[in-house]
Amino acid sequence: MDEADLRMDGNHVAGMLAEVFQFDMTVEWSGCAACGDRHQLGALQAYGHGMGAVLSCPSCGQTLLRVARGGGRWWLDLRGMAWLQLDEGARLPE
Amino acid sequence: MGRLSWRLARVAEIKPETPRVASLALDVPSWDGHQAGQHVDLRLTAEDGYQAERSYSIASAPDGQRVELTVERLDDGEVSPYLAGEVRQGDQLELRGPIGLYFVWQPGLGGPLLLVAGGSGVVPLMAMLRHRAASGSRVQTRLLYSSRTLEDVIYREELERLAVAGDGLTVTHTLTRAQPPGWQGYNRRIDAAMLKEVGWPPDERPLAYVCGPTRLVEAVADDLVALGHDPFRVKTERFGPTGVQ
Repeated sequence: MDEADLRMDGNHVAGMLAEVFQFDMTVEWSGCAACGDRHQLGALQAYGHGMGAVLSCPSCGQTLLRVARGGGRWWLDLRGMAWLQLDEGARLPE
Repeated sequence: MGRLSWRLARVAEIKPETPRVASLALDVPSWDGHQAGQHVDLRLTAEDGYQAERSYSIASAPDGQRVELTVERLDDGEVSPYLAGEVRQGDQLELRGPIGLYFVWQPGLGGPLLLVAGGSGVVPLMAMLRHRAASGSRVQTRLLYSSRTLEDVIYREELERLAVAGDGLTVTHTLTRAQPPGWQGYNRRIDAAMLKEVGWPPDERPLAYVCGPTRLVEAVADDLVALGHDPFRVKTERFGPTGVQ
């Protein structure tokens, strides 16, 4: 695989995050721990790699969320996010 | 998980759109419908078990069992050369979705609408235009669509038909690489001056949807905000760096 094969976009991350959270995360809101701006996850910049993705703040570039899959587990790093808000009503149907 | 489980779709129809782009109509058993602007994930499995997943915007209006995707062939891609070249009618594909509620439009959201597309970024916007036409919506809508050449314009004839229907849609093309003889339209990348000429004044509070290669999307979104548009009414979807304008 060359680098181009590993590129993903925000769309792909949406499916991955829906697997992790069981919510459609694209409409959920987050606050940036660096600049304080609030954005829906669908508005974040996304960078994909083979095993996961990185989402960053469109206002300041801060890394907000890193997600990776490996060994039968999901790994999440949310330290760049001040808060994450989930709308109970947005949970995916069972 | 119900809606996000993988299921088998069958390729019902293949339609070439441009030399690099094809539309695939898929029959998806028990498809519960989608919203205009959503996408699906496709998964291909090689004989050795290696799997590749990619996301593709849905091109069709939300109206039934069929899901139409439009795929651009990226020469260095892993999945798109198969989908926009080798796939045959009757082939089966693994699919999950619909996914994404952020980049969606329905007539109830109103307008006026400004749709800005680069290359195959027109696909989810086409779903919105098809939905708008099928539902009889007269929301005032302007599409600004950047392509490299006239033959790279996806859905060209259908866009012409929709635009002459007189229901409040205008379509403006810009051709960035080559223009046919006598071309009267734009011939440069989308910039702030073009957005000002083609788009709505900020005080009309348009809803803007911008989709295409990352560089185009971010430049257009920045320009719209600089022109005075509300950032929360500018929705973007980036296709990543591999797209072409």
